[in-house]
Parts: sequence; C-alpha cells; structure tokens
Amino acid sequence: MFRKSREFWLLLLLMLLAGSSFAIQRFPRPEFETGYQQPETMLPGPRAEIMAVVDLAVLILALSAVSWMVLKKRSRKGVFWVSMFSLVYFGFYREGCICAVGSVQNVTLALFDPTYPIPLTVLAFFIIPLIFTLFFGRTFCAGVCPFGAMQDLVAFRPKTINSKVDAALGMMPYLYLGLAVLFAATGTDFIICRYDPFVGIFRINAGFSMLLFAAILLLTGIFIARPYCRYLCPYGVLLNWISRFSYRHMTITPAECINCRLCENSCPYGAIKIPNSVKYAETRRQRVRKLMFITLLFPFLMVGGGWAGSRLQETFAGVNRTVKLAKELLVSDQNGQDVESFEIKAFRSSGKPLTEVYQEARIILHRFLIGGWILGAFLGLTTGLMVAGKLLENHQSDYVPDKGACLSCARCTDYCPVMGNTMPTELNHKA
Amino acid sequence: MKSKIIIIAAIVMLIAIMGYMAWDLFLSAPPEAKNPWEYKVGDLKRVDSSILNYIEMKPFKPEMEEVHGVDVDSSGTIYVVGKNRVGIFGRDGNLKNSFPISGIGTCITMRNQLIYVGILDHIELFNMSGDRIKRWKRTAPGSVITSIAVNGNDVFLADAGNKMVYRYTAAGKLLNRIGQKDTVQNIPGFVIPSPYFDLAIGKDRTLWVVNPGRHSFEHYTMEGHLLNSWGSASNSTAGFCGCCNPTNFALLNDGSFVTSEKGIERIKIYSNEGVYRELVATPEMFAEGVKGLDLAVDPQGRILVLDPAKNQVRVFVRK
Repeated sequence: MFRKSREFWLLLLLMLLAGSSFAIQRFPRPEFETGYQQPETMLPGPRAEIMAVVDLAVLILALSAVSWMVLKKRSRKGVFWVSMFSLVYFGFYREGCICAVGSVQNVTLALFDPTYPIPLTVLAFFIIPLIFTLFFGRTFCAGVCPFGAMQDLVAFRPKTINSKVDAALGMMPYLYLGLAVLFAATGTDFIICRYDPFVGIFRINAGFSMLLFAAILLLTGIFIARPYCRYLCPYGVLLNWISRFSYRHMTITPAECINCRLCENSCPYGAIKIPNSVKYAETRRQRVRKLMFITLLFPFLMVGGGWAGSRLQETFAGVNRTVKLAKELLVSDQNGQDVESFEIKAFRSSGKPLTEVYQEARIILHRFLIGGWILGAFLGLTTGLMVAGKLLENHQSDYVPDKGACLSCARCTDYCPVMGNTMPTELNHKA
Repeated sequence: MKSKIIIIAAIVMLIAIMGYMAWDLFLSAPPEAKNPWEYKVGDLKRVDSSILNYIEMKPFKPEMEEVHGVDVDSSGTIYVVGKNRVGIFGRDGNLKNSFPISGIGTCITMRNQLIYVGILDHIELFNMSGDRIKRWKRTAPGSVITSIAVNGNDVFLADAGNKMVYRYTAAGKLLNRIGQKDTVQNIPGFVIPSPYFDLAIGKDRTLWVVNPGRHSFEHYTMEGHLLNSWGSASNSTAGFCGCCNPTNFALLNDGSFVTSEKGIERIKIYSNEGVYRELVATPEMFAEGVKGLDLAVDPQGRILVLDPAKNQVRVFVRK
C-alpha cells in the first residue's frame, strides 16, 4: 500500500517536472509586438455613380452628334471635332476604360458565368453603339471611339492596299473576336484588354511591349489608315455585321450619283464600292454550278474549321491559368524538378488536393474542345461568307459605301460635287 | 515603287504585331521559377572591401553554446555570456575563468569588480570568481533584458520585451523608467520589432539608446529627458535599413559609435554627431542571416564582434 502510494507521488512529481520543462521560455523570442499602429488600409474611393450616368450621357450625345454630322450636315469637319472630343473624354479623361471594344468580353463572361455581375454601364457601352449602328451605320467608329480618333490623327498619307491582302488581313478581326469570346467564356483571360494598344498612351503609363505595340500601330497608321480598326478590332466585326442592315446609312452623294469619280480615291479605308457595270451575263448552268459550289463550301469550311479548332484545344487551353498549373504540376511530379515555379509553390502551400486541380483542368479542357469546334466553325462560316460575297457580287452602277466596312467618317462627302438634289453650277456648265 | 515599299513595310509591321500577339498568348515561356516578390538584398550587400581601414585579427572561440553578449573592462579583459555560462578571457582570447549560470545569458557588463549578467528577464550579479552575489527580482512581466550599462551607482537595463529602459541603483532599486512614449516631452517611444535593443553610457555620462524601429539613436539624461537623436533610414551604407536596425552598438574611445546590423550584416562607424564615417566589416565577412552581432571596444580601440553564427569573438583592428 505504502509502495503504491510512493509510486503515485513519484509519478505526480515527474508529471510536474515535465510540465515545467514545457514552460521554459525560449530566447530570442519570436517577433515582438511593436506597438506600431497599423494604419487603416486606404482604398481609392469608388467613382460616384452619377459619373457613370454622365459617361452614358456623353456616349449618347457624342453618337447623336456624329450621326447628325454625317447624315444631316455631311460635315467631315464636324465629325473630326467630335472625334477629338471623344479622344479627350473617353481616351485621356476616362483613360480608355470604359470601352465598348473591351465590353465584348464582359458581356461574354456574363453570359457564360452566372456569378459574374456585369455592370449596367458596361452593358450599355456594349449595346448603345450597336443600336446606333443599326440605325445610322458605324458612326461610333467615325467619331466616338477613342482608338479610331487616335489613329485618324496620324493618317497623313493613306495608301490603297491590294484588295486580296486587304481581304486576308480583314479576316484577323474575326479570329481575334473568336479568341476573345472563347477566352472570356472560359474565364481564361480578357485578351482585348491584354493587347489594348492605346490604353498605355491614355494613361501615360505602359510597359515596353505595350508602347512598342502602340508606336508600331501609329507608325503603320500613317500609311494604312486605322490599321487597328480594320485588321484587329473585334468590336468592329459586330459593327460591320450590323451596319450592313443599317436603316439609314450615309451616302456618298446626297442625290443621284453622277459617276464623276471624284470620290473614287477619297476613302482611306477602301470602303467605296466602285460601279461594275461591265459584268458579263452568266448562263443558267454557270449560276447553278456556282450556287452548288457555295452550298458545298459552307459545310466543308465549317466542319473543317471546327475540326482544326478542336485540334488546337490544348494550345488554347494552355493560356488558362488552371490548365497551365496542372501541366506544370504534372511535369514537376513526373520529372522531380529541383526548382519549382512560384505558382507551384503557392499551390502546394495552399493545401489544395492535386486531384482537384487536375479535375478542374479536365473540365476546362473539355470546354476548350467545344469552344475550339465553335471557333473553327465560326471562322469557316465567315470565310465562306466572304467567298460567297465575292462570287455573288451584284451589279451596281453608282459609287456607294460598303455598308459593312464604311466607318462613316464622311471624308468622301467632301469630294462629292453633287449638292442636294441639284448639280453644282460649275458642273452644269461642263455638262 | 516607293509607295509599294512603304505599303509592304507597313503590312509586315502589322503582321509582326499579330505574330507577337500569337506568340505571347500561346508560345511564350512559362514564368520564371523564382519568386518575383523575393526579399533580395544581394546588391546592397556588395561592397568593395578595399575601402576598409580595419583588418580582422585572429578570432577566438568562447566555447559555449548560444553566445549573446560581450563586454570589455578597462584592463582589456573580455567577458562573454551565452547559454548557461560566462567566460572571462584575456586580451588575446586565453580563457581566464569560466562559470555556470542558470539560464540563457542575454547580456553582460563588468563594473566595480562586479559582473552583471542579464538572464532573460532578470539580472544576476557575480564576483570575478564566479560566485553569485545577488539575484535581482524580475524586472517586469514579459521582460527580455538585452543590454546592461553601469554609470557610477546607476544601472541601466534595456528591456526589449517591454520596450523600456529601467534605471536601477546598484542595490537593485528601481529609480525610473526611460523612453516611454510622451508627446509632451517629445519622446517617440521605443519601437522594437525584434529582440535587439542596446544601450551604452556616453563619454559625458549620459545615456545612449538605440531605437531600432526608428533607425535612430536617442540620447537621454539619467532622469530620462530626451536630449537629441540621430539616425536615418536608408538602403545606402550611410543609413540603417530593414525593419529594425542597428541591432547593437558600442562607443569608441573618442565617443564615436560602432554599429552592427542584421539583414545586411555589417559593422560601421559613425562620428559622435552621427555622421557616417566608415565601414569596419562588410556583409561578405558574415554568415547570411546572422543576427545580434554584439559589440565591444577595448582600451586599445580594437573592435570586438561577437558572432553567434561562427560562435566566435572576432577582432577588428585599424590598419
């Protein structure tokens, strides 16, 4: 009994000693409290909501003013000054954001990701120029888009480009739009913003590649008018489509065209359709063949394009951050790399299971597979439409603007000698 | 012809832009493996050692664990304290005496034939033979005593834990606290983010305390009135950088300051007015990441640096 009691006390003593050993203070201690009062995080205040309304009002007023200048006043000067105002307001004051061109991505993301709350202003900036285009043609491009205004300033010596080169380069905006929609829909990136050439100038702050990009575009723009608008702008694709159906597009002549050819070289964008009156008559057989060719061409181009797009699934998906991480993790685990990237280190420290990333990557890859098919089919369709347009060109006897490509800048109106419904006196004399 | 060339050149430039976009989007190399936010002071550490006016002599090892404090008395005898032990060494580093202490010695000083040893949160007094004369009670809850200085009958303790300097009598009676934030007296308060907090008695018998979080030295009367301060935060050699530097200092015989720093490990000298004078030891001379290089100056003006990484007392002598 006594022995048991002694053992108990010995055990208790040992426990106390063990407890006290844990209580030993270490030196040096970890970082002390400094007594320093951490200041509250200062965030720039949100922009006043009323300013968003002001932006919208300015957009609508500018669009109205340009439309009026183009359709009623037929004044290039007026369009130019409104575009200068837009450059200052939407470019330098609003620093290129909010921008209708980039809003394509916000709208796409909102359509595919229900958790993304698209601001109403962004939606309005996407829709309003489209509505104006549906009524009056591409007046947004003419005098409201700051990108266009910027390029218009340097278009000193615009040259005519070979129509085949122009058509080939003209396919680029479709590809750019397709990729921008694909990447936005998959939540990968906003590539229109990533490769925005002029925002650096508007903000007077840009990286080297962005500045170089802007410099090359402006330098090119001296000889090829508005290169970004014609060969890159993805929003321009939408405007081009809608403008073809515009209710009241600008005309070169205010009355009947007299075929004086004065306007022939006035358009720096090559957007004037020249009369093709000497078109030879096609036989019925030739027409049927042509139609059959076009009928077969569309499914061929769309399926072929879709297949090619689906083959590029991994290349497209490689831009996605999650897919990129999953790839890196796979390579790292297989090869046992000594130096791991910062992304891998960050992932490993997050404690997230590896399988979860692989699963996410698999889902994204699948989306890119579908997206690749759609993108390829879309490009096939646009190519087909372009070919069909060339093959089925209609007879036309006047100088008219190409409603899709015309930027409604009103340059050609200055060259037209026709005044209202009467010919100018000088021409009457000549006649 | 000229026009054609211009057009071709412009088109090539346009295609180059598109090519660049495609390359950047799909083919550019993955980001570099290194951490872009890595704390790198490599460039700041690179110093031309030919500008040094000091050379390093043969160091000696105090043969104890975790060295924390060094001091020299008027005869040139060196005192080193570390974990559970105090070592007394001759001028050449030969061991004269050594005795155990109960705990981690964080700082040491010798005056009036008494060795004052800071043992984490309290002070113990020993005679030259190593017999404990007295154990002062704990200064305050949470104390970490990192430096001791004696001026006549006054003993000053730097308490990093409570960010305060205490003035005691030699008998261990608390007289006053120094350095408490006081806007009326314009005392900013000590900012001590890490456990390095040093003090020393100046030639004019006033108190110098380092305020590492403010990268400055503060000059106080015995009663705790702030006289003046100097120091500047800078990445250049002439200033102090990082969260909290200098970590330690000692006064040369002419009243100028020898300082040591962590992060960019280096020893420097400032005039008694706080003007940067010269570099004694460059970062290359120390192990990366070493902290708490305690300093002492002997009567011959040799600078003693206690290097916890090498567990050595390193000696620097003017050329």
